[in-house]
Amino acid sequence: MLRARGVTKSYGQDETRVTALRGASFDIRRGEFVLIVGASGSGKTTLLNMIGLLSSPTSGRVIIEGVDTTRLGSSGLAAFRNRRLGFVAQFANLLVDLTILENVMLPRQIAGGGWARGDRPRRDALELLRSVGLEAQAAQRANKVSGGQAQRAAIARGLINRPSIVLADEPTGNLDSVSSESVVRLMKDTARRLNQTFVVVTHDREYFGEVDRVITVSDGRVYEEEDDPRVAAATATAATRKREVLP
Amino acid sequence: MGYRPRLAKRMLFNRRGSLIGAVLAVTIGILVIHVNFVIFQGLYDAIVRDIGDYRTGDIIVTDEDSFITRSDLAVASWFERNPSVEAVAPRLSASAEINITKGGRLIEETRVPIVGVDPYRDIRASTVHETISEGSYVFARNSVVLGTNVARDLGGAAVGDSVKVMIVDRWGEEQVRRLVVSGIASSPGGQGFDYTVVMHIDTLRDMMAREGETGSFMVRMADEGQAAAVRDLFLRSFPNDDFVAETIEEASEEQLQGFRSGIAMINMIGYFGMMSSAFAIVTIQMMIVNGKTREIGILRALGARRRDVLVIFIMQGMLIGAIGAGVGTAAGLSYTFYAKETKMSFNNSLPLEVSYDWAKILQTALTSFALAVVASLYPSYRATKLVPVEAMRAV
Repeated sequence: MLRARGVTKSYGQDETRVTALRGASFDIRRGEFVLIVGASGSGKTTLLNMIGLLSSPTSGRVIIEGVDTTRLGSSGLAAFRNRRLGFVAQFANLLVDLTILENVMLPRQIAGGGWARGDRPRRDALELLRSVGLEAQAAQRANKVSGGQAQRAAIARGLINRPSIVLADEPTGNLDSVSSESVVRLMKDTARRLNQTFVVVTHDREYFGEVDRVITVSDGRVYEEEDDPRVAAATATAATRKREVLP
Repeated sequence: MGYRPRLAKRMLFNRRGSLIGAVLAVTIGILVIHVNFVIFQGLYDAIVRDIGDYRTGDIIVTDEDSFITRSDLAVASWFERNPSVEAVAPRLSASAEINITKGGRLIEETRVPIVGVDPYRDIRASTVHETISEGSYVFARNSVVLGTNVARDLGGAAVGDSVKVMIVDRWGEEQVRRLVVSGIASSPGGQGFDYTVVMHIDTLRDMMAREGETGSFMVRMADEGQAAAVRDLFLRSFPNDDFVAETIEEASEEQLQGFRSGIAMINMIGYFGMMSSAFAIVTIQMMIVNGKTREIGILRALGARRRDVLVIFIMQGMLIGAIGAGVGTAAGLSYTFYAKETKMSFNNSLPLEVSYDWAKILQTALTSFALAVVASLYPSYRATKLVPVEAMRAV
């Protein structure tokens, strides 16, 4: 489903050149729930931006569902993001000028075409809001709901176009522990129910418990869990914490 | 409603301060144009109106040889047969010396303009008689109407006073008549015969030794739009005469030329004001774009193309333009209505000729709308240049 090959991202030039990501190569398969972990400044958000097509790699390729995205132009990337990717950000990133329902419908309306016409976007958005427990908040302005509710709405928005992958950047980073658990549970339930691929960048690994895979980013390099002894230790610690947090 | 107009509207309306500021900028630009129009075009039209009402009518007929020898009855009858013509009045002009003895003291004025009128025709073709503030018009042949300034210069000549008028006739002989002041003329704005003496045309003809001759005919149209056609027909009908027939615009061209340039300059200042409002819109929209950086980033991340973002912000410009044009036009029309209903006058004297020029009103509204849209182009373009990943960091 997703193949990253030698993805490198550098900023600046010559002496001021900083390489945030060095030759990242990995695969993500359909239906997997993947965590990307690492210390602050390790390059994990840069990696997410690369596979989320929000930023283009300096070198390397990102292939999603057989499409080499590095060959797409600006409009092609926008359309690809819209139809194949869903985003959930740390601060939910809902548009405060719209209601929760309108926010959830937005990617569908941007997509246009037959499935954006008539009442269908509204029905689908309401169905999703029901599934994330926000039906009652549908008509509320996005800045009138709690952080946890906003994050749930962001998940619904990320799913409205039935994307190939949902990318989440620190989805629990701005939430209290109760809301964090609830959001994580929602993502995992959704992943299982819809066989939806999730790639989540997080500092709060303990909330996620068992996941399909963990990718660690350290100093711009990418390690699979089994490659990195630091990850094994972290996983063990997380498992202990998980028992404390989610009995 | 699609998401783009909805977002354009919400982003704008949820920032009321910016919206009000931008709309006010457009409104003020339009209002300045309307106020300029009411005052300066109103003044221009008032002057044209008064020239027409007091001196030329809608068509003025003169002769290349200074005096028309064809009988006034013949000329007037020709015009009055035309249903587009309301009335025709002959006029004769000269300058005179005039004196009065007040309290045993002789007061003399020289080179006073003097106009001879046929009172019965004149009251139909002009409104000079309406400017008689005291007494009556020159219905008697031995009567004279003094302009208020002439009366003042003659030591406060009043109705019933006797004045001596001296004119040099066509043979160079001085002709003197003693006439009775029948009225004092005072016009709003001084555009009438305030500096002139009016007498019966037959008396003036007699004094000038120009029996049956006329200086000019002022023609009042029932249908002003037919003035040029009637003028042309008149000239064609008298091919062997040396008549000069001009519409009011042609006759007043010299007098109004400078004024028109002034109006053009004032209008230009108004349009510069409108352009300033466009700069205000650029500033306000740039503020909106800067304040919506994160939203733009989110939209781009969700798949909105650059042109979608461009359309959203241009739609905002259109909204600002439409609301501003609407409010500005309403404010301008309210001012025009007020000026018309209160018979607003220039400098507390000349009543402005206030009119609704719908073509100009529409043009002003459309221009301001177009300027608002054009002003939104640069901020909109800037919005499209935001990189989604950078924009989303701006929390």
